[in-house]
Amino acid sequence: MRIVIAEDSGVLRDGLVELLTSRGHEVSAAVGDGDALRAAIADHRPDVVVVDIRLPPTFTDEGLRAAIALRRHHPDQAVLVFSHYVETRYATELLAGRPEGVGYLLKDRVADVSDFIGALNRVAAGETVLDPEVISQLLTAGRTSGLDALSPREQEVLALMAEGRSNTAIAKILVLTYGSVEKHVTSIFTKLQLPPSHDDHRRVLAVLRYLRS
Amino acid sequence: MTAMRFLRGPATARTGQELLYVLAGLPMGLLGLAYVLVALGAGAGLAVVFLGWPLIALTLLGARWFGAVHRILAQRLLGLDVGTPELRPSHGFVDWLRVRLTDPVGWRAVGFLILKPLLGLLTLALVVACWIGGLGAVLFAVWLATRGGFWQVLFLPAIVGVALMVAAPWVTHGLVQADRVLVLGLLSPTTLTERVRDLEHTRAHAVDDAATQLRRIERDLHDGTQTRLVALAMKLGMAREEPDPARARELLDTAHAHVKETLTELRDLVRGIHPPILDAGLPAAMASLLARAPIPATLHIDLVDRPSPAIETITYYCTSELLTNVAKHANAQYTTVHLEQRHDRLRLRVTDDGDGGARPDRGTGLAGLTQRVRTVDGRLDIQSPPGGPTTVTIDLPLHT
Repeated sequence: MRIVIAEDSGVLRDGLVELLTSRGHEVSAAVGDGDALRAAIADHRPDVVVVDIRLPPTFTDEGLRAAIALRRHHPDQAVLVFSHYVETRYATELLAGRPEGVGYLLKDRVADVSDFIGALNRVAAGETVLDPEVISQLLTAGRTSGLDALSPREQEVLALMAEGRSNTAIAKILVLTYGSVEKHVTSIFTKLQLPPSHDDHRRVLAVLRYLRS
Repeated sequence: MTAMRFLRGPATARTGQELLYVLAGLPMGLLGLAYVLVALGAGAGLAVVFLGWPLIALTLLGARWFGAVHRILAQRLLGLDVGTPELRPSHGFVDWLRVRLTDPVGWRAVGFLILKPLLGLLTLALVVACWIGGLGAVLFAVWLATRGGFWQVLFLPAIVGVALMVAAPWVTHGLVQADRVLVLGLLSPTTLTERVRDLEHTRAHAVDDAATQLRRIERDLHDGTQTRLVALAMKLGMAREEPDPARARELLDTAHAHVKETLTELRDLVRGIHPPILDAGLPAAMASLLARAPIPATLHIDLVDRPSPAIETITYYCTSELLTNVAKHANAQYTTVHLEQRHDRLRLRVTDDGDGGARPDRGTGLAGLTQRVRTVDGRLDIQSPPGGPTTVTIDLPLHT
């Protein structure tokens, strides 16, 4: 995969480049601010863009703005946004347009190298990847609105569905049989009155729409 | 008060200074009184033809000048530092007239000039009586002795004389205290409303300052420590999944180096928040500061009591900033730092032999220091003629 990285901390930028190249990816460009990012994308047209939310000059949300602007001009460009902390507001803004090919992760996730690479692949393939931390904040916010109807196990399954995991992956993570997961998923969709879907990706959107309403 | 201190009264430097104050203050006081009576009288008389008003305004300005002279006398000879009142700015003649005529500092100076000669005369009379009387009695006793008088007879004048001379400095001191009250009450720069305005201003600054410092700490932690730890986690994550042991070893070595760098950064950050050495007291903390100073510096400390922690912290950071300033802007070879306690005030003086020309508005952080010092009722003074040398003096209360 060809990747462009935007991260203002030199230490982290170099580490990411090393991580990605050691896994066989090509880092077309590694830049430190929003303008350089726009130029690099125009030059290289990468498969996926990894951008830190906090970039110079104001160090507030330039990276986020750049990502949203980017998606407006090139709706097919896969973008993975990451940050030291999670704000559900940022997630909402990111997903407001086309959520396909968009990801939002905590920088801490980089520590789990395989997970990070996996998330990158999924975003590049057009899926939606959200950090579990975002999901848990959304779940906490939505707790009063009918999620009480779900059993604790069902809530776990819901959280993993919102992360974009397939039933197989959920079964593996929660140590359940594939059949139990399917049953839980059907139950969840019924209780929350969501349109049933077997497409993992559409499930994410459905769940998210529900959680944000 | 011990008996020894009492008896040594006549011989101390303070006695001499106070005596000088009394003697010098009286002629100035009489002159001031004459000035006030004549000028105000003329001004009041001419008020009907309008000419009097500008005259009164000018009189008040002159009274302020007299007040300044007395303030300097009090500062040099009595060690009383009340600060200089500011002259309020004005635009245009009418505004100038209005501001000068309603100037509380000017009117209080007039009050001082009226009261001072009365107090001064009383003081002088009593002081002279004690000293001259005492001296006279002693000389009388000596004369009696040469005349071969009885021991009992000459014993009495001798005792009275010596007693008067020993008591004289204390009498002087007591009367001069009244003078201090007068100066403090009428010549100091702030009335109550000005004081309130000053406090509101410095409080706002203290709050801003605290918020800025917290933001700086957050930024340092976020950009520095947090980022380094993420990079560290990445390296360790890669090392875990690395099948080749040699490569894994490389990654671990890099991770190890990252940890050490992070520790150094954290240590600097902590020192920026609250240096642990401050708990051991200012002398130790200042010595450690100077040991790390970019330019050779010597330290002179004369502290008796331990200041409050807030004052110690402010003194430490002021010294640190001033030393940094010297290294960055002054082009100096040498710095001296003096820290001394005078009564209940702390005085910090940083002198360098550099190019001079330091001003609060030149991005040296001196304005910020001045504000921070003002929040604890302190003062910052800069003496920096072009060509040097430069001395920055900070005056702080010992206890907040």
